[in-house]
Amino acid sequence: MKGAGSASAGPGSRDQAPDAKISISGVHRTFAADTADPVHALGPFDLEIADGEFACLVGPSGCGKSTLLRIVAGLIRPSQGEIEINASGSSSAPLSVVFQDYSIYPWKTVERNVSYGLEIQGMRKKAALEKSRRWLAKMGLEDFARAYPDALSGGMRQRVAIARALAVEPEILLMDEPFAALDAQLRQLLQDELLDIWQADQRTVLFITHSLEEAIVLGDRVIVMTSRPGRVLESFEVPFPRPRKPELRDTPEFSKFKAMLWESLKGEVQHYLSDVHGAMSDAEGQR
Amino acid sequence: MRALKKGAEPGPGRIRRVPGAAELAPGRSSRRRRAVELSLAILFPVVLIGLWQTASTLDWIDARLYPSPFDIAAKTRDLFSERDLAEDVWISVRRILWGYFWGALGGLSAGIGMGMFRLMRRTAEPTLIALYTVPKLALLPIYLTVFGFGETTVIALIATTVFFFVWLSAMAAVMAVPEEYREAAHSFGANRRQLFHHVILPASLPQIFVGLRLAAGVSVLMIVGVEFVLGGDGIGHVINGGRILGLIEQTYVGIAIVAVIGVIFTALVRLAGRLASPWSTEDGGQPIA
Ligand SMILES: Nc1ncnc2c1ncn2[C@@H]1O[C@H](COP(=O)(O)OP(=O)(O)OP(=O)(O)O)[C@@H](O)[C@H]1O
Ligand SMILES: [Mg+2]
Repeated sequence: MKGAGSASAGPGSRDQAPDAKISISGVHRTFAADTADPVHALGPFDLEIADGEFACLVGPSGCGKSTLLRIVAGLIRPSQGEIEINASGSSSAPLSVVFQDYSIYPWKTVERNVSYGLEIQGMRKKAALEKSRRWLAKMGLEDFARAYPDALSGGMRQRVAIARALAVEPEILLMDEPFAALDAQLRQLLQDELLDIWQADQRTVLFITHSLEEAIVLGDRVIVMTSRPGRVLESFEVPFPRPRKPELRDTPEFSKFKAMLWESLKGEVQHYLSDVHGAMSDAEGQR
Repeated sequence: MRALKKGAEPGPGRIRRVPGAAELAPGRSSRRRRAVELSLAILFPVVLIGLWQTASTLDWIDARLYPSPFDIAAKTRDLFSERDLAEDVWISVRRILWGYFWGALGGLSAGIGMGMFRLMRRTAEPTLIALYTVPKLALLPIYLTVFGFGETTVIALIATTVFFFVWLSAMAAVMAVPEEYREAAHSFGANRRQLFHHVILPASLPQIFVGLRLAAGVSVLMIVGVEFVLGGDGIGHVINGGRILGLIEQTYVGIAIVAVIGVIFTALVRLAGRLASPWSTEDGGQPIA
């Protein structure tokens, strides 16, 4: 395999796949819409994610990635447009979320944090606890099953959040920078674990990250977003076959592909930074 | 550069980090710390009472107007045998407990309900705030008309006082539950009952108990006021009776007993809070493992 894969430009340029798991069309989101200064966070956003696809979303900070994910998760509504999710019903949970800020509960022990999601979906307490311990073991947390989260490190808490989302075995997994707080070694371990889980059951994954490397190692496709309001800037098929080995990162093809992604993203990040600087010098000027 | 003192750490830039007593013998040092804390908590009032006793013995203060702690203690013993003080104490405690129970129940329901449902809050909040500012003792004549001259009136008045404290703190606590906590539960498809059970209640419980503890103290304040005015029986009546009959020692006995009731009641509510929210470090405790 050589060099860069197919890069298709612009939103909506991907063929309308009949077996799309998630299809997002013309989605906008505006915050504080009823005030004097509304924030247009997202849109128009168009994207199709195929069944079993691992899609990675990258983009400058504040471009609306978390917003998009929360709309897909059904936690907030789009201001415009629509999203269609084809749930097959093969799992009790159509989708589950790993949040950017852990949002695990300090009042529940680690194992109860994982099991309560299962209980909400109707599993008996005992079975839920058993399953919860299995997933905690996979995350290397079996010794902390009965501890409260306050006694855990940031990375350990994030692993609890991941175990919680995976334990319900959802058809679609939505992950918002799940590995951002982890050290490099653990990050790689969990990336491998995630790939195993994904390949075993062919779940659909929408994965937000700031790391281009992570996006390339994990994803079938990397979608680059514009700065706010976020739109699809470009979409890249990742050309590397699976299973991908860690050494892949050291190959020239990898670097070349990463450089191409960065080239696409760079303009947006600069755009974002100049906005920030502009705002700062405006504030200076007012003094 | 600063000159090295004799016996100081070697080298000007070297800083050592070594285990202290707490690290070298963790069990013993935490036991000792607890013992010290407890002794201080007891010693402090004992010293204050000692000062008072000394001032009285040395005639710095007039013992007829300000009886000494020894005299008060002796009088307490007498009153328990002569006047059946225990009866009055028990009457007051029973009123406090019933009033607190109903007030807390109402306050929790209203506070949590209004915290969870915006429409309920918008509807009732202005009215409740208006009522909150009414001095509860001023309601006594009205309650006497409604509930008659008896236990119900006293209990209702305590309950009303407790209600407002608990209501306000519960509502604020529920509204302060972070959105991320709710979203995490929603993402698993939790319904309202599950959201309440798994998230809203535990997340707000430590703050709610702050309100419950405040209300415990206030309910004791209130019983004294009510019995003061109504007379008949109860610890407030004992205090007021001392004033009317010129038995100044009796008044002090009453005050001391009220203080003890307040301390015990508040401590019990705190204990309940610790048991109900074992993960919490809110009131300065360690999580109960
Ligand atoms: N609840 C809200 N109210 C008002 N504005 C919001 C709200 N949530 C998000 N925004 C705004 O929407 C924009 C996009 O936010 P979002 O969290 O989606 O960014 P992001 O791409 O996830 O950024 P990051 O990479 O830093 O996590 C930001 O400008 C943010 O200020
Ligand atoms: Mg985000």
